[in-house]
Amino acid sequence: MNVNPEGAKTCSGGGRGGLQRFSLAKAAILLATGLAFSVGVALAAGTQVYNPKTGQWTNYDRTQAYKYYRTHKQVPESFRMQVVKFRTAEQPGTIIIDGNQHFLYLVQPGQKAIRYGIGVGRDGFGWAGIVRVGRTAEWPTWTPPAEMVARDPNARKWAKGQPGGPDNPLGARALYLYEGDQDTIYRIHGTPEPWTIGLDVSSGCIRMNNDDIVDLHSRIQVGAKVIVLMQGAALYKGV
Amino acid sequence: MTIATNKEFSARRTNVLRLGSVLLAAVASACTSTPTPDQMSRTAVETAPADLQLLCANAAAQAGGVESSKVLPTSSRKLDAKTYQVDLNVGGKPVSCTVDTEGNVISV
Repeated sequence: MNVNPEGAKTCSGGGRGGLQRFSLAKAAILLATGLAFSVGVALAAGTQVYNPKTGQWTNYDRTQAYKYYRTHKQVPESFRMQVVKFRTAEQPGTIIIDGNQHFLYLVQPGQKAIRYGIGVGRDGFGWAGIVRVGRTAEWPTWTPPAEMVARDPNARKWAKGQPGGPDNPLGARALYLYEGDQDTIYRIHGTPEPWTIGLDVSSGCIRMNNDDIVDLHSRIQVGAKVIVLMQGAALYKGV
Repeated sequence: MTIATNKEFSARRTNVLRLGSVLLAAVASACTSTPTPDQMSRTAVETAPADLQLLCANAAAQAGGVESSKVLPTSSRKLDAKTYQVDLNVGGKPVSCTVDTEGNVISV
């Protein structure tokens, strides 16, 4: 296992930054109410969560997700780590990512899997394929790819790498996904923005709550097979 | 034989309507199922569960004599309450598969 590898260029979520930055974004949205409405409608096509109190499904966009997390200090129950039935011929230890439904499964013996909630690539950044865990890191350094440095002013200051830590977009652990011996630049990693689990927010990386990625990291082996399912993927890897 | 007065008839009709309302409510609640906690999220794209998609992929790999690492589900949809269709890329060729909610592959 590598700890804080240097020079590892990685994808990362769009909208980097913590609560402060999100609050600013929210304030801007509130000011531009017309725009906010159209943005809300656009996001409404995404995730919904069931409210047992009202018996209704409600849209779960970035604003709702942040409100939910602030109120409950955790993500909705569906996106929390849990053991589920999983009928498969894949070997225990295989990671299966359902990008459309925002779940990551770690196959267990006895037709079971541990299911975690994830955040995935936003429109145009989703991908699918069959890859493997090439290496892992604890509190990894994040180095944005050149394209991200070019399009995101917030990424520019970390062009040479942001050290690992609680504000680092890769969070507590990273699993580096390889196609053969080639780094795909995609990772499964933690996040300092746990409310984004269940949403399409990243630049193609798979993000998890820090507690969940620490748990997953402790259970997997380097070399583990990773199957990424994503209807409407913009890119295919390893097939 | 007695002839019901207007008042009695009205009372009976009210009772029948109340009974009907109760039955209607019972039927409606039975039809509106509450999801279990692990199923309290969904997306606009209703895809087949991941395990069913991969059961199809495994069946297609066996049927086509292809390594399972060369078979990837690319899209899926619900056909009816108990059946999904899964589109696969099998070594570069498109293949369609149907699977039921119990995990039985019906056709490849």
